[in-house]
Amino acid sequence: MREFCLITGRTIKQGITLHDGKTTEVYRNEVGIVYLNGEDMEELGIIEGSSVLLKTDYGQVVVRAVKGDLPKGMAFMPYGPWANMLTSANTHGTGMPDLKGIKLYIYPACEEVWDWKRVLEEVKSVEG
Amino acid sequence: MLKVENVVCPFCGCLCDDVIVYVEDGAIKGVEKACSIGRSLFLKHREDLSLPSIDGRETSIDEAINEAVNILRDKKHVLIYGLSSTSIEAQRKALELADLIGASIDQTTSICHGPTSLAIHQTGIPTCTLGEVKNRADVVVFWGSNPLEAHQRHYERYSLIPKGMFVTEGRRGRKLVVVDVRPTPSSRAADIFIQVRPGEDYEVLNALRYMLKGGKLDGEVGGVKVETLKSLLDIMLSAKYGVIFIGMGLTMTRGKYHNVEAALSLAIELNSHTRWSVVAMRGHYNVSGAGMVLLWQTGFPMAVNFSLGYPRYSPGEYSAVDLLRRKEVDAVLVIASDPVANFPREAVRNLLSLPIIAIDPKRSLTTMVAKVVIPTAKVGIETEGTAYRMDGVPIRVKKILNSIYPSDEEVLDRIIAKIKGEERNA
Repeated sequence: MREFCLITGRTIKQGITLHDGKTTEVYRNEVGIVYLNGEDMEELGIIEGSSVLLKTDYGQVVVRAVKGDLPKGMAFMPYGPWANMLTSANTHGTGMPDLKGIKLYIYPACEEVWDWKRVLEEVKSVEG
Repeated sequence: MLKVENVVCPFCGCLCDDVIVYVEDGAIKGVEKACSIGRSLFLKHREDLSLPSIDGRETSIDEAINEAVNILRDKKHVLIYGLSSTSIEAQRKALELADLIGASIDQTTSICHGPTSLAIHQTGIPTCTLGEVKNRADVVVFWGSNPLEAHQRHYERYSLIPKGMFVTEGRRGRKLVVVDVRPTPSSRAADIFIQVRPGEDYEVLNALRYMLKGGKLDGEVGGVKVETLKSLLDIMLSAKYGVIFIGMGLTMTRGKYHNVEAALSLAIELNSHTRWSVVAMRGHYNVSGAGMVLLWQTGFPMAVNFSLGYPRYSPGEYSAVDLLRRKEVDAVLVIASDPVANFPREAVRNLLSLPIIAIDPKRSLTTMVAKVVIPTAKVGIETEGTAYRMDGVPIRVKKILNSIYPSDEEVLDRIIAKIKGEERNA
C-alpha cells in the first residue's frame, strides 16, 4: 500500500467558514477535505470531489478529495475536526502533538463525507 | 449608518487596526479594509451563537455560572485551557482562578508556537516589531509559514508591500524568500521559493549555519541543492536588515523546538555579519497576550500547574494534550477556544469523558458537548480589552456594539467571587 505524507494547515476558506459555524454544511464542505496531487489521484483512481477514506496509525476519517498544487506523495488537510482524527496525541514531552508529516493511507470510499456528529461518534468508539 | 474607523480586527496575530465598520440598527452591516477572514468575522459575529446551558438544557447565565462553580469546587485537578481569543484582562482572571483552585492552566500556544517558547529558553531570540520590519527590512524570509492564507494582510501592512522609512520603494525594495514543503499562494508571490522535503527543515537550517561558518557541502540537503542554499546565504549576508518569520511548518513538524532553535541560532549567527531578527507568526489575535500574562504572573509562558500552591512549569506534563492523554484531570474549563475540534483524536476522546465548562460567544464542537455553556460578549466587537500583536505590541481593541451577555472577564470574576464566598452584582 502506498504511503502518503499528511500535512495540516490553514486555508482562507477554513478561516472564513469557521465564522459561519463549525456545525454548518459550508464548514464541512471546506474543512472536511483533503488536497492531493493530480497524478496521485489518477493513480489511486480517485475522482475530483469524491469521498476518500483516510487512515493513519491514530485513526480514520472520510472526507472529500480535491486536486491541489502539491508535490507527489503529499496530502494536505485544513486544520479542524476531520484532520485531527488522523493526528497523534503523543507530544514527545514537548506539549506539541505531531500535527504535520504523518504517514497516511488513502482509499476510494462510497460513504458520504462525515459530518461533525459522525466524527465525534468515531472519536468515542475507540477504546483506550 | 454609523461609520466606525480604526477598528482592530480580533482574528489573527496581525491585529490590523485600520478596519472600518458600518453599524446600523445595532448590527454590523459593512466592513472595509479587513481581509476576507476578518470580514467574515465581523459580518457573521451574530451567527451560530452559543446559549447558556447545563447538560444541553437552556438555562440562565446565573444558573450556568452556579453550575460551573459547583464543578470547579468539587473537582481535584481542573485544566483551564484556551485564552488566546480573549482579552488580557480575562486572561488575568483565568490565571487568578487557576491559582485559587490549584488547577493546571495551559493556552493554545502549546499546540501552536509552544515549541518556539521552548527554543527561546535555550537560545534567546533576536527580534523586532512589525514597525521595524515595515521601515527597515530589505530581506524577509517566511519559513514554514503561509501568510496569504493565515495572516492575509501581513505582506500588505508589514512585511512586503509597504513603503518604509528606509525601504522607500516598498515591494521593489524588498526581497521575499519563502521556504516550505509545498507551493502556497505565499510562495507564488516570492522572489525565491525553496521547497524542503517534509521533516527536514532542521537539516536545511543547520546546513546554512555550517556554510555560514565556512563549511563546505555538496549535493543536496533536505531536497534542496547546496547551490540554492549558497545563494540564499548570500542573500542573507547581503541584507541590511533581514527578518525570518517562522510558522507552524517548523513547530508542528518532526524536530519541533529543535527546528526553531536552528532558525534562531542561524539568525543569532548572522548578526555577526549584519542585522537579522526572528518573528513568530502568531495565529490567534491574543495568543501573544496569553503568553505575556502567564509570564508576568508566574514566570512561565504555558503549561503551569498550581496544585502545590505555587506555579510549576512543565511542558509535556502540564500541557493540555498531555494532561488529557494521560487522563490526569477530572474537569476542564475552556475559555474562548475549541479543543474538541483542534486536539488529536486520543486527547478529544478523553476530554469527552470529562465535565467541560465552555465560555465562548460562539457555538463550537466544544460547546456542543460541554456540560455547562456560558456565552459571553465577543472581545473586539461587544466588549473592549487589550490584546498583544504577534510582535508583542499591545493594542486596545474596541467595543462597537452592545451584548446581552457579560464579558469573559466578568464571568470569570463572578466565578472567582463565588468560590471565595464573596458575591458580585450581576
